[in-house]
Amino acid sequence: MPDCSVNYESEIEDGQNKRAIKCKFCSSVILTPSSACFQNFEFDLPLITQTKNNDANPETEHTSLFWVVKDMFTFYNVGFSNAVGNTKFLTCADCEAGPIGYHDIPTKISYVALTRVSHGST
Amino acid sequence: MAKKTYDLLFKLLLIGDSGVGKTCILFRFSDDAFTTTFISTIGIDFKIKTIELRGKKIKLQIWDTAGQERFHTITTSYYRGAMGIMLVYDINNEKSFENIVKWLRNIDEHANEDVEKMILGNKCDMDDKRTVSKERGETIAREHSIRFMETSAKANINIERAFRELAEAILDKTAGREPGGDGNMDRVLVDKKPMTNTTKSCCNN
Ligand SMILES: Nc1nc2c(ncn2[C@@H]2O[C@H](COP(=O)(O)OP(=O)(O)O)[C@@H](O)[C@H]2O)c(=O)[nH]1
Ligand SMILES: [Mg+2]
Ligand SMILES: [Zn+2]
Repeated sequence: MPDCSVNYESEIEDGQNKRAIKCKFCSSVILTPSSACFQNFEFDLPLITQTKNNDANPETEHTSLFWVVKDMFTFYNVGFSNAVGNTKFLTCADCEAGPIGYHDIPTKISYVALTRVSHGST
Repeated sequence: MAKKTYDLLFKLLLIGDSGVGKTCILFRFSDDAFTTTFISTIGIDFKIKTIELRGKKIKLQIWDTAGQERFHTITTSYYRGAMGIMLVYDINNEKSFENIVKWLRNIDEHANEDVEKMILGNKCDMDDKRTVSKERGETIAREHSIRFMETSAKANINIERAFRELAEAILDKTAGREPGGDGNMDRVLVDKKPMTNTTKSCCNN
C-alpha cells in the first residue's frame, strides 16, 4: 500500500475531503475543501512514471482510495486527457502531471486517487 | 451534496496553425513540465481552470484542437458552445500569421456569431528570429476589432493575462453558463448588463 494511505482517514470529514486537494508536484489546487466524496474500490490506474515505453500496455497499480466528483465543473483546476475506451485520465491543470485519476465517460463521474495528490490548505 | 463552486462557465477554444504553440499555451511549456509519456501520448482534451473576476468565480473550460488543424477539418462540432476563441500564430512563422485571416473566416462560418476572439502572437521569447512584427499583429487585430497580445508559452509571458482578458470580455458581453448539475450546458444565464450587439433574447424562454 502506498504510504499516504496510512492516515488518509484524517482527510475525510462527513464523507468529504476536509482539506483542499492539490497537485503533489506544483501545488495547483485541484479541488476545494468539501467538494468531493470519499469512496473505496479497486481500479488499475496507469503509473505517473512509466519505466518502459509501452503505450498500448501501460504499467498500472492497484488503486483503491478515491475522491469522487459527480460534476466535472466542481474541479477547481484539472486537465482531461483524450478518451481511451470509456475513460479519460485526469491530470494537473498546471504541470500536466498525471494520471491523478480518471473520468468514466458513461456515468460522467470522475475519480481522483488519494495517493496521487496531496492535501493541504488553499 | 457538493456545494456550488462557481458562478459562471465559459467555454474557450485555441485555434491556429499546427506548431504555433496552442498545446503549450494550454499547459505549462512541455519541455520543463511534468509531462509523462503516458499522458502526452494520449493527449489532452481540455482543461478546467477557475479564475476570479469582479468577485465572481469563473470556470474556464479550455479546449485544445487534438491536431485537427493540420487537416483543416475544424468544423461546427468543435466550435459548438464556444464563447471565446484564442487565435494563435507564431511570430517566427509568416505563414501562420497569414493564415489568421483564414481562421477568422472559418470561425465566422462555424462559430457562434457573437463569440469573443483574441489574437495571440506566440513565441515572443524568440524575438531574434521574429519575422512578424508586433505592429502587423496589432494592425490585423484592429482591422477586425479583436484584442491582441504577444505571448510566450515558454517564458510564461502574458498567458494568464490573455485568458483573464478574454474571460473579462465575455463577462462584459453578459452571457455565461449557469452552473449545471451534470456538465451539460444547455441553459444560459444572463448577467446584469444588457446584450450589446443583438436584440434577440436567449434567456427568458
Ligand atoms: N520558443 C518557444 N517555443 C514554443 C512556444 N510555444 C510552443 N513552442 C514550441 O513550438 C512547438 C509546437 O508547440 P505546440 O504547443 O505543440 O503547438 P500546436 O501544434 O499549436 O499545439 C513545440 O516544439 C514547442 O516546444 C513559445 O512560447 N516559445
Ligand atoms: Mg497541439
Ligand atoms: Zn501540477
